[in-house]
Amino acid sequence: MEFDLKTIEALAPDQASLSAASKLTKRSNWPRLEKNEQQALIWGECQGSGSNPYRTVVDTGDHGYKCTCPSRKFPCKHTLALMWIAATAPTSFTSAESTPDWVNDWLGRRRKTTSQPADAKPGATGGVSGKSIGEAAQPEESAVEDAAAVERREAAQRKRAEDTRSAVAGALDELDQWIADQLRLGLSAFADASSERCRRIAARLVDMKATALAGRIDEIPARLMALRSEERPDAAIRELGKLVLLAKAWRSAPDDPELKRLVSASETRDQVLANPDAKQVDSQWEVIGEKIETRRDGLVSHSTWLLDLKSPTPQFALLLDFFPASAGRRSAAFTPGDRFDARLVFYPSRQPLRALVAERKGDVTSGAWPDFGLGTVKDPLAAHASHQDAAPWSTDCPLMLPAGAILLDERGAAWWQAAHDPQGIALPVAGTVDQTVLGLDLAATAALWNGARLDLLAAQSGFGRLDLS
Amino acid sequence: MNELELTGLATMRDCWITGGTTFDLAPAAWKEIAGGASPDERERRLLAIAAQALDVGLRPAAPKTLKRRPPLPRLRLPLLPERLRPPLRVALKNAADARRKSRVATLVASRGYVLHPLDWMPSASDQNSPDIYAPWIDWQASVEGLKIAPQEQLTVQNWDDFYPAARRIALAEMRRRDPATARSLLEAKAPSEPAEVRLALIELMHFGLTPDDAPFLKNLATDRSGKVQELAGRLLARLGEHGRTGDGGADDPVAELAAFIAEGKSGFIRRRTTYAPAKLKSPAQEKRRAELFETCNLVDLAARFGVSEADFIAAWQFGADNNADIQISRMVAASGSDAAVTQMADTLIAEGGKPALFVLHLTPRLDSRRKRVLVRLILKDTQYLSTLILAEGVEANWLEWADLTNGQSLAALRSAVAGNDDAMKRTVDGLLETMGFLVTAATAEKLVEHVVAAGMPPAAASLALLRLNAALTGPGPNT
Repeated sequence: MEFDLKTIEALAPDQASLSAASKLTKRSNWPRLEKNEQQALIWGECQGSGSNPYRTVVDTGDHGYKCTCPSRKFPCKHTLALMWIAATAPTSFTSAESTPDWVNDWLGRRRKTTSQPADAKPGATGGVSGKSIGEAAQPEESAVEDAAAVERREAAQRKRAEDTRSAVAGALDELDQWIADQLRLGLSAFADASSERCRRIAARLVDMKATALAGRIDEIPARLMALRSEERPDAAIRELGKLVLLAKAWRSAPDDPELKRLVSASETRDQVLANPDAKQVDSQWEVIGEKIETRRDGLVSHSTWLLDLKSPTPQFALLLDFFPASAGRRSAAFTPGDRFDARLVFYPSRQPLRALVAERKGDVTSGAWPDFGLGTVKDPLAAHASHQDAAPWSTDCPLMLPAGAILLDERGAAWWQAAHDPQGIALPVAGTVDQTVLGLDLAATAALWNGARLDLLAAQSGFGRLDLS
Repeated sequence: MNELELTGLATMRDCWITGGTTFDLAPAAWKEIAGGASPDERERRLLAIAAQALDVGLRPAAPKTLKRRPPLPRLRLPLLPERLRPPLRVALKNAADARRKSRVATLVASRGYVLHPLDWMPSASDQNSPDIYAPWIDWQASVEGLKIAPQEQLTVQNWDDFYPAARRIALAEMRRRDPATARSLLEAKAPSEPAEVRLALIELMHFGLTPDDAPFLKNLATDRSGKVQELAGRLLARLGEHGRTGDGGADDPVAELAAFIAEGKSGFIRRRTTYAPAKLKSPAQEKRRAELFETCNLVDLAARFGVSEADFIAAWQFGADNNADIQISRMVAASGSDAAVTQMADTLIAEGGKPALFVLHLTPRLDSRRKRVLVRLILKDTQYLSTLILAEGVEANWLEWADLTNGQSLAALRSAVAGNDDAMKRTVDGLLETMGFLVTAATAEKLVEHVVAAGMPPAAASLALLRLNAALTGPGPNT
């Protein structure tokens, strides 16, 4: 590996990047560090602020690089940190005979150019470019605060929290009034004009610090438009009714972490990891699907759904990341079908679902799903009902459906129906379904149910695992 | 929910759709929960209850007419192992069109596996995919319900029990084994099929074509479809039957084509006749000549000059006009007798160099041995390496490392990979994809190492099929 600190310093876009990279050079930030000397490549997975680790690869020959983080600085702090570790602790990298698919993918697409650092001149350390790796490596001086300063800071924090709470309370009052107005004006008109009406109230809620709630309301029009017109009034009742319940729940417990997350803002990764009440599950997980949606607020939400393979009953986890749509397409850290051993920490909730990968231990070979006792399932929506009992404001609920098949109605719309109960329940499927799936017997199907449509994620069949997301 | 609540919910829902207050319409139990608040708050409380009732209390009503498609049939070969599906998907993604994707499926089938139906599925009209996929093609074609292809032999009685792909395969197999029975079946059943299906069925006559087939083919001269008439004419020409009985006048296409060909003499001691393309005066003439080569048959053209097909081909001066050489090669492929085709292929291959490349047009009619000879010749004579991409209908999984090293083709590949010529690199990409189909697993592995060592990025998309090939261990090479 051909890195020296001067090269890294010269490649860095600014001093701030170097300082940030310096903090990421701890081995604990990198659950995976590998190299392939034949191909002059180093790569690693860095646990950033998102729920998915960022994947970084560097060509040590020509200093080409790629990172999955949304940073607009090139190279980003993760790339610089990876180079830094290569320069100072090359033994941290384990030798890999083959390169992973995501590295291959980058190698296949990249146009190889020899990029030399712009200001890589001998003796250019610091001074000329205004960047200094020595300075970045210095530990930050921890200012010793006196007791009065600590109290002032804490008082300011309390005040900010109080201000936020009263702003959110005001926002919910406006929301209540807005909902009452929609009922008075009629839900038929609401369904037709939902885009404009939701945008207006969402903007108000953002101003009043109910940001998360605003994002949810912004998505209501898209959820309504995904349904047939005759289904929209019922969907509007469900959507608005859940907002009423959420507002009431928040008023009764404004400090509840789940409600705060749904109304104003989410905790940081560090806060979740440090929370002793957060549920932790050490298990084997399979990536059963992912959903990438561009939201109206300009963010892209990337949901990765995981299935716990060791649990006796179907248990799911959701890794949720947001990044600006302007950052372009990101390569995902996981591919549907991947299996790995990991410790997940769940965001505190009545029905814990959203999680973070606290520790990823290694990949697991693929195979069939556990039985989960699906043969005895009487009601495929039982999990949804129990989810609603605990958190009636929640929308999408992951389900593991028993043996069934996908059928078509006279309009050509797809329905899932249980294999042993053709006269029983059938659930309408969202979007279009690959025609081939219509000819397959599904032994088990993982899907999301939103009260009106089933969003298929994956299934097990006589033809093995089916990726349906 | 009880009946009262259901009725109440329906009335409230109707009221909310148009707009208004629903408190008076709500079921008594719900009123009790919602009461004691302002009118707006009462409505919101009822809305929350209704939302929960809709979400948990009610279930989607399944339509009575849900239709199940027949189960996708299992194929006779096992599915590709799960670990090979990622490289397979890369190879399929890199295959630019349906024909190349079918080629990937053919390679996999040659190693004893079939693809996962969600990775690749032949279309209902697919005629290039390996025979093993016929049940899936028919499944795709089935709309109302699948009739499983019977195990017994295809007959007039069970003709309709077979779906088109299965029927085509059964007929092709019967033509090879018992051409007369297959012909009688076609005589009985083909007329009732639509033109497109009829054309595909008559095309099968080229298997084991003999003079006994001539009367049936002559009858097709009055077929309703022009395409079927044309095909029958070509098949007859392959049997040496003269299709065109022109008067030799200006309107006779054969005479018109003959006018584009100059008859000459060569040799000092043994004077022999030669045929060479006449010099053309305009692009319009060029276009007309191309049309005539396409519509006329070799047997008629040779007869026009008073010679046999074999003599005409032997006397043709290859190398004088590239376009005319291509056109006559296509004409021989379409309407030449089997003897004429093999004679032309053998002559050109023996000659080597550029003329050998015209054999590429004959590949659909060449036997496996001649196709392999042609591929080996192209590999040995490095100059026209890029034409390998054009070779059609060549089998998968037989080219060995010794075939690649018997000449300068590897050195040429290496230098193209290491060079900076983008056009050349694109050609190499196509060549590697073609080789990915032709070579054995061991050769694929060596070839990947070789080109990577020459500077090709290890994850280059053009190596995808070679990598899949190398990873696919199964039955040995096609011999």
